[in-house]
Amino acid sequence: MTAIADQFKRAAAEKAADPHHRAVLQRAIATYDAAVARGKTRFADWQNARAQAAQIKWETINHLDRYLEQFERQMIENGGRVFWAETAEDAREYILRIARSHNVRKVVKSKSMTTEEIHLNAAFAVAEIQVVETDLGEYICQIRGESPYHIVTPVMHLTKADIARTFHEKFGTAPDATAEELAGIARAQLRHEFLTADMGVTGANFLIADTGMITISTNEGNGRLSVSLPRIHIAVAGIEKLIPRLEDLALMWPVLAASGNGQAVTVYNTLLGGPRRDSETDGPEEFHVVLLDNGRTRLLADAEQRDALHCLRCGACLNACPVYRNIGGHSYGTTYQGPIGSVITPHLREAREWSHLPYASSLCGACSDVCPVRIDIHHHLLHNRRNAVRLRFDKTWERWAFRAWLWAMQTPQRYVLAGKLARVALRLGLVTPLVNPWTQGRELPEPPQHTFRLWWRNKGRDGCPQASVKKQPRRAGDNAFYQHHE
Amino acid sequence: MIPSRENIIARVRAALRAEAHRPTQPSASPIWPPIGDLETRFRDEFEALRGELIVGADQLREFINQFGCIATDGSELVRTTVGDGNASVRVADLGVTGCDCLIAQTGSVFVTTRSTGGRALSVLPPAHLVIARRDQLVPDLASGFALMRKRYDGHWPSSLALITGPSRTADIEKILVMGAHGPKRLAVYFEG
Repeated sequence: MTAIADQFKRAAAEKAADPHHRAVLQRAIATYDAAVARGKTRFADWQNARAQAAQIKWETINHLDRYLEQFERQMIENGGRVFWAETAEDAREYILRIARSHNVRKVVKSKSMTTEEIHLNAAFAVAEIQVVETDLGEYICQIRGESPYHIVTPVMHLTKADIARTFHEKFGTAPDATAEELAGIARAQLRHEFLTADMGVTGANFLIADTGMITISTNEGNGRLSVSLPRIHIAVAGIEKLIPRLEDLALMWPVLAASGNGQAVTVYNTLLGGPRRDSETDGPEEFHVVLLDNGRTRLLADAEQRDALHCLRCGACLNACPVYRNIGGHSYGTTYQGPIGSVITPHLREAREWSHLPYASSLCGACSDVCPVRIDIHHHLLHNRRNAVRLRFDKTWERWAFRAWLWAMQTPQRYVLAGKLARVALRLGLVTPLVNPWTQGRELPEPPQHTFRLWWRNKGRDGCPQASVKKQPRRAGDNAFYQHHE
Repeated sequence: MIPSRENIIARVRAALRAEAHRPTQPSASPIWPPIGDLETRFRDEFEALRGELIVGADQLREFINQFGCIATDGSELVRTTVGDGNASVRVADLGVTGCDCLIAQTGSVFVTTRSTGGRALSVLPPAHLVIARRDQLVPDLASGFALMRKRYDGHWPSSLALITGPSRTADIEKILVMGAHGPKRLAVYFEG
């Protein structure tokens, strides 16, 4: 097992057993669930909205070369500059070059997962350029020195009291401040930063090919302030963020908001096409868009999983995932957490290091059900497991175990023999938590006296199977649900 | 030619040689329920978002009198309705602007740098008042985009913004707090 996989297992086990963490997470997700259920009632046909959104993204992703070139052409016509970054390093170097050439001292940043992906803040720190996160959640993360816990809700794991304590230590504010007071403190602090920053860095929710614009959606208004006052604006976007036409937003904005947090649309949906025009009173002098590959074309080449590039980063699959709901966002150790993160991370990063992630799923399919662009997430998790085995990332003992299983399943005689051996092993207590980690958190039931096949031959066929099942004595610790319903 | 650009485009083209399965075709069934009466729908949506709909000249005067430093976009409609501003955008506590259209379906105000005197005026001051005419109401986002396309295609302003309610955040324990960074108050007044 790789060190990263080992770290994941340890973090996941720790978080899953932490009742406080669980309570905080469950409450946040319950609030989300209720809001999203309400939000979806705004649609006459949510399923058709998903189908249309999937269609738009399919069209774009499967003609990505054409739309990228169209976007670039239009953006340049609008006075913007386009930089193509093959890697995270290319992107960082370009951004730093622009910052240095303009003597940038302070950068305000609007929430962007892509800049997390390329570790831009660390690069600014090395270059001794001050960078301030302006989304409230990201701001709290920055003060605490943590990475975002969730792609939409960066501090989902913190309580109001945790944040009040952090602000108390940092700014000397009241240790029991309310959410309103805390937001007010951040507003006052950040207002000064907006007014004095030299450069604004944002992500992009969509890139519009036919008009050469980017869109940013924020509820707080930090996105708009980041691109109104500073002299330079740099937007960093994955190449998959494109959509063909401006008019597609009439569907994409509501679909993103409904899945992201249940709103009709986000409070501020901003479209930006280039720097300030001559006739305009404000806005940046320069506008740069960094188009980031960083492994995306690898995922694009996998036709089976290509639809993973449809992702809008709404976070719905994280909230729906029973694994995420138990282990939380930090355990994954990735920029993109949850089911979609477990699909794309092995493609975007070193596959060997991240091949454990697709196993962090019950394959229940809740992620695919909620995905607003109908990515077949849970099947892709299965595809990634298969890929890992093909690349021989699986464990040797596991490969032998499956070979043995395959051998045993091939004839009834072998199956009977394997069953006998297994029962002996069970009775002798050979199935310890060491052999089968499944039993680390669960009690193994006592092995039955007879095999099902024998029981069926003797009783089941003519008697009432239900009656004989009920006569079986139950042991304490058996499933309480069934005891209750007997 | 820049090599990184050519490399990425080449990789994209190579990747797309293998065809991906097509998604299920959308059906013909309508995605949105009917909008109903535009003004009623706009009011219901806007007020549910905690927007303030100002009715009548008295209410407008009352609203404006709460603010000392006012910046305006200098447009004809704003000037004839509330007069000129007395402050710059950086210090104003109220920004008064026009808009391009209002979306009934979502209770939104659709603006551009051209209709609102730049980017900052509608987002930097802690309150934003929009002066609009009733005939600027359109049913839904699709009609809003159609209007924008007709008005600006070929010479787009550098920024457009769909504003749907006052600024808010729910980053702390999902508790709704109004006025995160943008205006804490958003008001609409229909002229005439």
